[in-house]
Amino acid sequence: MKLHRIKALILNYYYFSIDSLDRLFDVFYWPIMDLFIWGFMTFYIQGLSEYNVLNTILGGIVLWIFIWRSSQDMVVYILESFWSRSVYHLFSSPVQFSEIVASLFFLGIIRSLAAFLTMAVVSFLLYQFNVFAFNLLHFIMFVSILFLFAWAVGLLVSSFIFRYGTRLQVLAWSTIWIIQPFSCVFYPLSSLPSWAAKIAILLPTTHVFEQLRASIAGQPIDYYSLLYSLIVSIVFLIVAAFIAARALEKAKVSGSLAKAE
Amino acid sequence: MDTVVVKNLKKTFPGVTAVNNISFSVKKGEIFGLLGVNGAGKSTTINILTGLLRPDSGKITIFGKDFFKNEEEIKNRFNVATAYYSLSTNLTVRQNLEVYARIYNIKNRKKKIEELSERFMISHRFKTKVHSLSSGERTRVVLVKALLNDPELLFLDECTVGLDPDVAEIVRDYLRRYNKETGCTIIFTSHYMQEVEEMCDRIAFMYDGKISNPGKAEELLKELETQTVRLHFSRQINKAQQILRENNISFEKKKNILEFTIQNREKIIYPLLEQFVKKGVAFDDMHLSKPTLEDYFIQRSKKDQNLNSTKETGIEKR
Repeated sequence: MKLHRIKALILNYYYFSIDSLDRLFDVFYWPIMDLFIWGFMTFYIQGLSEYNVLNTILGGIVLWIFIWRSSQDMVVYILESFWSRSVYHLFSSPVQFSEIVASLFFLGIIRSLAAFLTMAVVSFLLYQFNVFAFNLLHFIMFVSILFLFAWAVGLLVSSFIFRYGTRLQVLAWSTIWIIQPFSCVFYPLSSLPSWAAKIAILLPTTHVFEQLRASIAGQPIDYYSLLYSLIVSIVFLIVAAFIAARALEKAKVSGSLAKAE
Repeated sequence: MDTVVVKNLKKTFPGVTAVNNISFSVKKGEIFGLLGVNGAGKSTTINILTGLLRPDSGKITIFGKDFFKNEEEIKNRFNVATAYYSLSTNLTVRQNLEVYARIYNIKNRKKKIEELSERFMISHRFKTKVHSLSSGERTRVVLVKALLNDPELLFLDECTVGLDPDVAEIVRDYLRRYNKETGCTIIFTSHYMQEVEEMCDRIAFMYDGKISNPGKAEELLKELETQTVRLHFSRQINKAQQILRENNISFEKKKNILEFTIQNREKIIYPLLEQFVKKGVAFDDMHLSKPTLEDYFIQRSKKDQNLNSTKETGIEKR
């Protein structure tokens, strides 16, 4: 891996972002819309309940952005190279797959933080919800695990794009939403039916959002649960990176990369 | 030393053998032309050599090193330009060139980009997004990108397609000069036969995934079996026709011109002219058409097609 190439790729993706209304909407428009819809609904439910529903749901929305942006961005920026048919020049250059992944990790962090800060400001202005009131250590732990998991999902979806081309591009936007209902972002694990709970408990994201609710409620954090999430996310990331690298190699064998399909 | 050595390269796709066990080498500083009809296997070969496609079998050595074991290092030293794939269409010309200059870690990036862009007359479009450029302008941007890293090996796949004739000439001039000054090896494919003839030191012909022995253009042209002869008569055209019939030469008469095709110029044309002189037939003018690479290309394609259908049906076409 060469730092100058990673920087070049970050610049490439930055140029993609600044002039693209789609990519700007990803960071600002959709997260704010989420806050409006969910926030106002929760504001209403809050009036019917003694439980701190507002903080729980807003905390979920604000943390979910890290998964959403990081996983989707990874695939969408790979797709951008296919759409603009620049894959040919990119892969005939000395750029390594690991450098593309590293630059997309970095980009995911920056764009997620931009979306997070926007949501933090909007949620404070609309609902007086202060995300910075979280325990900073807890917050860093939650976000780190979510990043690892999101990158793993992004790599796995990218491997389908490499292998089968842009005809599977719908996965870029849809995959993460299959995971959300089982991640218990807005409700506790105990509220799920038993078949769904069996799936949910395996996901690292479920444990993060469970601990987020505990943290908001002022209850002690289960560090073993977070450790499990961290290990699973790392293993998942390594496996996903291996699968994506294999898929890229297969694309070179099948010719789909040369055709930039 | 050879810059590129290809040995027993084979690539198949379902139902098609795109490259069929080919071997060739390209010398350092040489401009090597790959000729062939669409689907002959030229682009597949280039795609394998540039690392976009993996072969089923075979070995590629570039700069004396195994390509697949030293891909990153070798790719730093070569570059590729093709008319078929543009740079990122959503980025401006300058943004694209800036990104690739950084990928190749070019010192003095700004100066290099500006110099090359001036040379290829694209600097006035720096702020334009690639999707708004004409196809000729896109090709020029790709050519600038291909020269950013002062490549020691350059793959040019139909790189003058879409260029105006005067611009194409400027591009060819620059590439020839670059080749002479730097000793850069160039692998060149084009549909323009005259361009290939003019640019390339050696040419190999690809057909149906196979490759002919590379040779200089004039050597290939010697292989041509037929030439067209046009004789202009102001009188005695009937006598001339009689002589041609006696020699079993079929001809076409167009007003006062007799046109016929001969095989093996030395053996046929001189004895024929002797007969004309002996029988007192005088012609005003004789035009013997010089075979071009295009003639070679057409004849070679026909020959290969014929060979193929013979293999399939067992019947030789005449």
